Amino acid sequence: MDRRGFIRTCGVIAVASFLDARFFSEALANQEGLLKTYNKALLTKEDGSPISEKDILPHKEYIFFYPYASTPCFLLNLGDEVKGAEIKLNDGQVYLWKGGVGTKKSIVAYSAICSHQWSYPTREYAFINYYPPDKASETTKRASVIQCCAHLSVFDPKMGGKVLEGPAEVPLASIVLQEEDGKFYAVGVLGKDQFDAFFENYKTDLRKEYGSSAKAKQLVDKCSVVEVERYVKELIRC
Amino acid sequence: MSKSLSGVSRRDVIKTVAGVSFFPTVAFSKSSQKRESAKVVIVGGGYGGITAAKYLKKENPNLSVILVEERPFFMSCPLSNHFLAGLMELTPLCFAYNVLEVKHGVKIIRDKVLAVELDKRAVRTSQGYIHYDFLILSPGIDYDIEDKPFYTETLVYYPPAFKPGSEHIYLKRLLSEFEGGDIVITVPPPPYRCPPAPYERAALIADMIKRNKLKAHLYFIDANERPLINSEGFMSAYYDLYKDVATYITSAEVKDVDVRKRIVKTSHGDFRFDIANIIPPMKANNLLASAGLLKKREKWVSVNPLTFETHVENVFVIGDACVSYLPKSGYAAHSEGKVVAKILSARLKGKEVKEELLQMVCYAMVSDKEAIMTETSFKYEREKGRFIPIHREDNERKESTAKRYIEWAKGLWRDMFG
Repeated sequence: MDRRGFIRTCGVIAVASFLDARFFSEALANQEGLLKTYNKALLTKEDGSPISEKDILPHKEYIFFYPYASTPCFLLNLGDEVKGAEIKLNDGQVYLWKGGVGTKKSIVAYSAICSHQWSYPTREYAFINYYPPDKASETTKRASVIQCCAHLSVFDPKMGGKVLEGPAEVPLASIVLQEEDGKFYAVGVLGKDQFDAFFENYKTDLRKEYGSSAKAKQLVDKCSVVEVERYVKELIRC
Repeated sequence: MSKSLSGVSRRDVIKTVAGVSFFPTVAFSKSSQKRESAKVVIVGGGYGGITAAKYLKKENPNLSVILVEERPFFMSCPLSNHFLAGLMELTPLCFAYNVLEVKHGVKIIRDKVLAVELDKRAVRTSQGYIHYDFLILSPGIDYDIEDKPFYTETLVYYPPAFKPGSEHIYLKRLLSEFEGGDIVITVPPPPYRCPPAPYERAALIADMIKRNKLKAHLYFIDANERPLINSEGFMSAYYDLYKDVATYITSAEVKDVDVRKRIVKTSHGDFRFDIANIIPPMKANNLLASAGLLKKREKWVSVNPLTFETHVENVFVIGDACVSYLPKSGYAAHSEGKVVAKILSARLKGKEVKEELLQMVCYAMVSDKEAIMTETSFKYEREKGRFIPIHREDNERKESTAKRYIEWAKGLWRDMFG
């Protein structure tokens, strides 16, 4: 079985082994529709060389685009080991999120499209951001969270993007990362992705930025990782 | 405490809900019987009606969902003060209803609802009866002017601009043509649509006087003793920015308006004006009283606060027209639309759905560039049958908050029309 196949069918055995078998098979059955594999895309620095663990500074907010050329994701090094978690959706579906990757298992990635009403970091503004432990939100007083300032949905990057508070009804979709020989790859998207709504709502904006919808929807096989504060003109924190 | 038709006060309704349920785990699916097909009629294409329609179709593609709305196009009340103050064009506030038909298969009937006939399970329009299995009424407000006949004339001279459409366009014209003199804005006692709106409007009009260096003064006459929300943020903006161009008169009752002499008579004296924005008291849309969903003297429809169902099974009232723990606002109506869509979807499938408490986010401009905001969540005290609001106000005026405000509205529109 190749690595990708391994993820598709039972990618979380290591994390889930403490759970009882009945639950495990149920969760995997449900997971089938919630895990989508895309191109295996190498995460790179801006110069195109592979990004390594030391380049991903703890608690810094990075952005890359995956699985499509226009769909933004956050890459975060949360400093310490991030354990896997069982994610329950409102409709009863359950999936298993495998936690962090890297030597410290501290590196995670999420779709940066808010699962509530699809705010995302543009070149102009980022209303959705990561709040490091030393910079708590002034409004919710929470730190170590991803928070969207439009309607105050708050997500937990340590728990598979779970909703902590606010109007969002589903977690942020997580990006499945793999580490191989010190290189990092994005291989899939786990959870309820918001790509359909994203492409539908931002048709005009995406056409303007990428030239055409088709170009915005191109699947990538390489992702350039950039600090959010260098990518976005104005970070809106709250 | 007002009583509903069934003789159950709102408080009792809450108590009853609390009594039978173990919030938030118990479901409110009434019948476990599955329905093969059903017809849902939604009256009113505002924030609540549109959201309910879209989410019902998304959840139940085969369901027949009919939205009856008189206006040909949707115009947003949220952000309409931006338009009045010249900070935004009207176009971004307008959307076509046909999007819901094309994208989601909602049937749009452009007509006025003449009556809701609960005994016939039908609504009557000029084209005839539309029968329903489930009815969602989201018709918004009417101005409550019967007791004060002077408002009737005032309305046509000085539009309140609390119902989206031509009222806003005409008030904008009055403001655009204003070259100096006195402006009066009056605020009614609560509850009315969008608590921060008059306070935002006053700030933006004062800002306009300053920006355009007009020889003018704003008399802001409030029935309340202070702004109903974000009081600190509004008061400091009024004091810091507008004390030279505006006077804030509180706890003042409007007694009469003479549109010819252009005088507002209040409990705190008479105020002459060149142009005015007289905001009358409000009540639930008249349709609801004629449907029998309101008792005499009741202004708003009592509903089960967690399900928005009236005392008539499968008849729901959402948005500004109902009494709920949420303030009257587009944001609340939108959230209520989602909840009712969930409840109906569950009923149709014979499933149960978890009760949920909604949250509120409100923004208000205090100058042409800066805004303040409030987030409110609610606690439900089961034993006392009470909802306790927990406000998190950000009263420090900031440009970043003004940018969030726009994104807040755009998010709602994406959710409704996307």
